[in-house]
Amino acid sequence: MSAATVRRVEWIAVAVIAFALIVLVPLLHANGVIGNFWISVFGKWLCYALLAISVDLLWGYTGLLSLGQALFFTLGGYMHGMYLMRMIGDLGQYKKPIPDFLVFLGWERLPAFWEPFSSFPFALTMVFLVPGIISYLFGFLAFRSRIKGVYFSILTQALTYAASIMFFRNNLLLGGNNGFTDFKFILGYKLNEPGTIRGLYIATAVTLLLVFLFCRWLSKTKFGLVQQAIRDGENRVLFSGYATAHFKLFIFVVAALIAAVGGALYTPQVGIINPGEMQADKSLEAVVWVAVGGRGTLLGPIVGAIGINGLKSWATTAYPDLWLIILGGLFILVVLFLPGGIVSIPARLKTLAQKLRAKPEAPAPAKP
Amino acid sequence: MLAAASALLVSAVRAAPAPSARQTIAEAALAEDAAKKRELIGRLLGQGDPAIAPLLEAWRTDALFVLTAPDGTKIPVQLTGEKDAAGTQSALRVDTGAPLADAAGQPRRLAAADLAAVEHTSSLRRAMKAVLDLADLAAPDPAVRTKAILTIGLAQDAEKLPALVARLGVETDPGVKRALRESIAIARLKDADDAVKLTALVELKELTSLASTDFISRALKEAETAEKPVLVKAAKDALRAVEGHRSFVDFFGTLFRGVSLGSILLIAALGLAITFGLMRVINMAHGEMIAVGAYTTYLVQNIFGAGLTIPFFGFSLPIFGLNLTGAAYQWYFVAALPLSFLAAALVGIGLERSVIRFLYRRPLESLLATWGVSLVMQQGLRLMFGANNVQVSSPVYLSGNWTVNDIIFGWNRVFVVGFAILIVFGMWLVLSKTPLGLLIRASMQNRAMASCMGVRTERVNMLTFGLGSGLAGLAGAFLSQIGNVGPSLGQGYIIDSFMVVVVGGVGSIGGTIISAFGIGGIDQVLQQYLPTIAPGLTWVPGIGSFLQNLAQDAAVFGKILVLAGIILFLQWRPAGLFVTRSRNLED
Amino acid sequence: MPHPLLSVEDVSKSYDGFKAITNLTFYLFEGELRTVIGPNGAGKSTFFDLITGRAKPDKGKLDFGTDPSKSHDLTELNEYEINRLGIGRKFQTPSVYTEHSVWDNLVLSLKGPRGVFASLFHRLNSTDRDRLDEILKTVRLDAKRDWKAGLLAHGEKQWLEIGMLLAQEPKVLLVDEPAAGMTDDETDRTGELLLSLAGKHSLIVIEHDMAFVKQIARNGQVTVLHQGTVLCEGKFDEVQSDPKVREVYLGRGKHGTR
Repeated sequence: MSAATVRRVEWIAVAVIAFALIVLVPLLHANGVIGNFWISVFGKWLCYALLAISVDLLWGYTGLLSLGQALFFTLGGYMHGMYLMRMIGDLGQYKKPIPDFLVFLGWERLPAFWEPFSSFPFALTMVFLVPGIISYLFGFLAFRSRIKGVYFSILTQALTYAASIMFFRNNLLLGGNNGFTDFKFILGYKLNEPGTIRGLYIATAVTLLLVFLFCRWLSKTKFGLVQQAIRDGENRVLFSGYATAHFKLFIFVVAALIAAVGGALYTPQVGIINPGEMQADKSLEAVVWVAVGGRGTLLGPIVGAIGINGLKSWATTAYPDLWLIILGGLFILVVLFLPGGIVSIPARLKTLAQKLRAKPEAPAPAKP
Repeated sequence: MLAAASALLVSAVRAAPAPSARQTIAEAALAEDAAKKRELIGRLLGQGDPAIAPLLEAWRTDALFVLTAPDGTKIPVQLTGEKDAAGTQSALRVDTGAPLADAAGQPRRLAAADLAAVEHTSSLRRAMKAVLDLADLAAPDPAVRTKAILTIGLAQDAEKLPALVARLGVETDPGVKRALRESIAIARLKDADDAVKLTALVELKELTSLASTDFISRALKEAETAEKPVLVKAAKDALRAVEGHRSFVDFFGTLFRGVSLGSILLIAALGLAITFGLMRVINMAHGEMIAVGAYTTYLVQNIFGAGLTIPFFGFSLPIFGLNLTGAAYQWYFVAALPLSFLAAALVGIGLERSVIRFLYRRPLESLLATWGVSLVMQQGLRLMFGANNVQVSSPVYLSGNWTVNDIIFGWNRVFVVGFAILIVFGMWLVLSKTPLGLLIRASMQNRAMASCMGVRTERVNMLTFGLGSGLAGLAGAFLSQIGNVGPSLGQGYIIDSFMVVVVGGVGSIGGTIISAFGIGGIDQVLQQYLPTIAPGLTWVPGIGSFLQNLAQDAAVFGKILVLAGIILFLQWRPAGLFVTRSRNLED
Repeated sequence: MPHPLLSVEDVSKSYDGFKAITNLTFYLFEGELRTVIGPNGAGKSTFFDLITGRAKPDKGKLDFGTDPSKSHDLTELNEYEINRLGIGRKFQTPSVYTEHSVWDNLVLSLKGPRGVFASLFHRLNSTDRDRLDEILKTVRLDAKRDWKAGLLAHGEKQWLEIGMLLAQEPKVLLVDEPAAGMTDDETDRTGELLLSLAGKHSLIVIEHDMAFVKQIARNGQVTVLHQGTVLCEGKFDEVQSDPKVREVYLGRGKHGTR
């Protein structure tokens, strides 16, 4: 199979999947084949796919295992959630013009930093700005002092941990451990109407496609080459005149923004966002999706996120006690025996077949 | 009247009067006149008889009755126990406490409906409460006495002052004596007489009583408005002395808490210093090794006690208990220590053989695979021991405390500090004085070379990992005495442990020790002083009140500051306090 | 006498008490091909580390540039800044990007802007392509341009790394044991290539293989390092006959690679 054919097959696969996700699923929903519940669940999985891509961009492509992506995901979710909370208006339990939990904490008026979130454009800006700034500051400090490998992983985990214990506090005025929920409207549309649900789903699927195309483009640029070179031998890149810290910082911020967009789309579709989403375990779970799907590929994280979450929603009802054991076990097995993940299976089978045919060939050329 | 009451009390306490408390209460129950009743109850003031409280409580809740015998004599009785079908309960004589007997000497059962309850007015109830409050003054347990004394003192209850004074005359325990002097002085701050106030202030200054701060400040304000310079000066002096003492207590209290937190961190991180520091294996299941140790302690406790049944994938695994009691049972913790080490070490060796040995030189993969292991282990613990925390009781020798000069030293914390020292010393012995230690150091420094020299590095790896895991298990045994034991116990320590090792410098055990105490100390200092600086944060534009809010959450905010501090620290020393260098291009 | 392109003056560096370089002074002039020899542990690799910014000297001066008023203090720059000044290095063990194709390895090394945004919108123009094709021919890898670099033979990786160095068009090439793992034929060609570069570029070549040193040293200077300092400097024949050198190095015969 020539390189051109491989590329054509890949594009056909992408087109088919994109068509199914963006056109077919909404059509089935409009016709009542898929209910509101399931299309929201699909939407949630696609948000997780965005999170998985952000993990893969760092881990698979740059060799940076960030355990902080769930933080950026949740931050995006919170920023959008603040807008959605404002849109509840005075329809909350306490019938007050401020969010219920603030009434509960004894606030009479809206705290100043909540005010501007009544505006959707402002909230949308914050969805990008807050995770962007935090990832920039953290990345700047971490990469400047050349923290890498497992140290980077541990520090990102500590960052997430610090943030999560902060968000669990009521004093932060962001809803404490209950977070935000009971949303009613988005941009004037009722959140519980099929049309709105479908719209949100389509927005998520289109975003995922755009992010996929962007990452694909990125991986083919010279930036992508440098990125992967950093993964395989960072010091060599440094001695070729590239300021690797800048490259890592750039991709770290880009990945944080992708995760944040995923989180922002997650909040209205799932209907709740709370600090539980940013705990260290969630980041690691996203790493599992990438590992199982296939890291260093772009289809892998999407396949992994959807596959594992599909498995999860089946297993947590069928074998609730065993789910974590299944997840942990699956992860151990993939790390030990299938480092390339699911998407590497066809290639592996091919190599196996070639071996069976016992025709020693010259080493296969890399894809140009 | 006060004088009369105190005279009465003194006689009550000193002379141990003829009528017992029970008899007095019986007499009061029969008394016709409300004033007489009050007077009789008043006689109970300051008596330490343990029968008083339940009887008065019964009276207050209408469980005291008067039985009129056929011959017209009246006997006060208390009805207790379950009602039977006929509505009768067993009856106890109030005056003796013995069951009421009929003519044949058999205990009689009476129905509440047939009897008249002893009445009580609100003034009588007040008198009873006064008695109950003071009853504890004579309680046999010094801690109970101290608590009762301070309650009275802090309420500045002038009416009960004589009781305190009387008690001071007979009290022998120095701690209780001090509490008495403190309470008396505080109560006297309300006295109308300036001379009494002045002596009280001097007394408080001498006692440097921490509890008195608010009262002295109030007295100071009153003295200022009344323009009494002598009192103002005395109050200011007293306040200064107390504040000085407070900062002294705070400082050493913080220091001690810092050292004990440092010891906890050290114990939790030492195992990691070996597996991560020496072997460069990122074991995310380290926390679960700690949990294994804690649960082993729980199991041993139950084996020493009544035993327990563990559900295990549908099977029930009964574990028999030795049903030990008393001193023998208290030994369970000592037995649990080596067993916790062994259990965690065995699990560690199993983990090394089955997963980790394939992942040497692939640190990121080992991080991920061991996280999978940690998930499986957590869920396994949950299935075996339930999702809730289990109860691990502290043996008596770990559950008390010493209070030296107002600084509280909990025994368990003192023990943890001592144990940390012991464990570090033990580890140093193992690493530097045993053949295993030599092999470990050789293999960790240069695996290939050690292998060439005939060291079986495979086995050394296995044993080293076992040692690291065993230390984690030992940590678990200790942490079970300090915090809750639950399936996610380890999660609370894993990040802290990694931070300690990273800050100390990977591969340097000395660095781990210094960094554990450094982080523990800074954390406690922040927790102590953040609330005091919180009001100062309002100046920050825009988010001032928000920051102030956060800073009051000292435990959480302190932790966040420590983590931020660690990230900044790594800017300055990226490889931690003690650097082990390498000259490879990609390392 | 012209101002040296690279001046290393009185530089020392120790690792945890081990003195890798002691009071080393060394000058390299424009267009020169300098060969550096010395026994194991003489500090040859540390010497390169200091020039390329991988290690910082404990004391001493490292200046780069023929114009003294515009020279750069290398001790204040980090690895990529030094590389951008035009100091390229070939490592002792071949370090190529194993997961990238041979072609991409060269693209990454090609002289040009190195910034994040520049690389996002970077496109190869036809001059670049011609240049890369030419380099591929020079290092004889044009038939394997689409191969993954990790799949090349050891000698080919060495060649690829030399190609990457050429693509950078540096002013100074630091070449660490280029002939290690090569066949005699390949070694000869490497020598010729290095000689052809001298003049246009300046080179420092660390080498163990005496035949190879003899081939490339010709009439150029040879520097002998011993225990972190310069033992002697001169033409190959002079150095070879120096009794001190014979004692510490040549007398003990050829050493293997470290």
